[in-house]
Amino acid sequence: MSEFRSKSLHIRNLAKIYDTASGERVYALDPTTLDIDPGEFVTLVGPSGCGKSTLLNIVAGFVEPTTGKSLAGDEDITRPDIDRGMVFQDYALFPWLNVINNVSFGLERKGVPKQERNEIAMDYLKTVGLQDFATKQTDELSGGMKQRVAIARAFATEPSVILMDEPFGALDALTRRFLQQQLLKIWQEHKRTIMFVTHSVQEAVYLSDRIVVMTARPGRIKTIIPINMSHPRDFKTDEFRDYERRVYDELDEELAKTFDLETDN
Amino acid sequence: MFRVLQKLFAVLPYLYAATVIVIVWQLAVVLTGAHESLLPPPLDTAETFVSVLLSGELFLHIGMSLGRVLAAWVLGAAVAIPLGLAIGRFPLFERLVDPIIELFRPISPLAWIPLAILWFGIGESGKIFVIFIATFFPTILNTVMGVKGVDPVLIRAGQVLGCRDEPAIFRKIILPAALPSIVVGLRISFGTGWAAIIAAELVAAQSGLGYLIADGMEILRADLVLVGMVAIGIIGVSFDSVFRAIHRRYGWGGT
Repeated sequence: MSEFRSKSLHIRNLAKIYDTASGERVYALDPTTLDIDPGEFVTLVGPSGCGKSTLLNIVAGFVEPTTGKSLAGDEDITRPDIDRGMVFQDYALFPWLNVINNVSFGLERKGVPKQERNEIAMDYLKTVGLQDFATKQTDELSGGMKQRVAIARAFATEPSVILMDEPFGALDALTRRFLQQQLLKIWQEHKRTIMFVTHSVQEAVYLSDRIVVMTARPGRIKTIIPINMSHPRDFKTDEFRDYERRVYDELDEELAKTFDLETDN
Repeated sequence: MFRVLQKLFAVLPYLYAATVIVIVWQLAVVLTGAHESLLPPPLDTAETFVSVLLSGELFLHIGMSLGRVLAAWVLGAAVAIPLGLAIGRFPLFERLVDPIIELFRPISPLAWIPLAILWFGIGESGKIFVIFIATFFPTILNTVMGVKGVDPVLIRAGQVLGCRDEPAIFRKIILPAALPSIVVGLRISFGTGWAAIIAAELVAAQSGLGYLIADGMEILRADLVLVGMVAIGIIGVSFDSVFRAIHRRYGWGGT
């Protein structure tokens, strides 16, 4: 229903070079080009420091690229915008607001009247199964519950793009699987373009339409693996494991390079 | 029932402290055999306390002192909080203002008394000025700390949720995130202000707990001095616990 609202993402020759305090140049991201379709779920995987978070932060508008540009639909990305939501690894809930006011924060900024925004926020809380926790303070929630609130908060403003930076990285394995299922559910209900950063190959295969494997620093795209499996996906099938193996093969090459680099020094 | 017990337990440490103080005090009187005008026994002091209380004199002094501290504290907050917010948020402003503040900070409020008298005379404003100095620094330091301590990821979260410019980020993220620290600053500064009341009222005051104490000394009535001290202690502790309660209620977690 709301699929037409989600936007494509276009990353054009995007590169990032940091100058550290000690005057060193760090090539975080080599020129990278990537197109993501509206409503597509794309995951970035790669060794630590391969620039996948940098890429995400540039698309969010937090970080300026050194060269190149990124577009949401046909608009240049120059600054953070409510149209591109974000889910952070450490939840980033506002501790001075209760659960429902966290979820409706963006709606308030959009000028949605109080009663309406409470109804919308409640709907999204229901989708993540937390309707009974609406009036709780955020410090009363577990890590998994906090991240579900953060997901509800990101979807509630109906952004056309949602960026997720290792959102389940701090959670235990079982909670993580549960949240992956919930994320798929809410994404299927409210199709948004999703750019997702993770270290977990299994998570990437379970969630994505396409997996972008990045090289070791300086990061660039090594290969893109489309996942042609219907949801819900079963971890235990041969097909699933074949995909995992393919991603691991690509990653292992990069890990070996990183290792060589470190032992050379 | 349980709640009543809980409240009782909360008062217990103070009762214990009071008991220890009275015992040590009584022992000091007995062991040193001090003259009554120098160190009256606890019971005599309690009698004086009750009589000053019943005559309404004590309330007058407390009221005057509280009025001065409150005025100075509000004034201090009105200057320190906006200044602290700006210092915490704008690094350039911090570099301009912070060294000046650091230079003034080690100077005790007592050191300002001569200037306060020269500038403001012996009226109310001089006293309020001295207490203002005492309340200013804890408030500003905690405000700066609160603003600088805001998790950058909360600011980013605010930005992707529609806080497009600095005023919006400031109002919707920085201010509420820094509020608990600001409240702590206000609590501490009320304490330092209240502690400075004696110094402020030692000079040419006609009322207030500081006056009561100074006057007691001059007419050799140590019991009045002690009554003044006890009143300062009780009021100080009472206000501190009120602030703590406010903080627990509105400080979203932490103590």
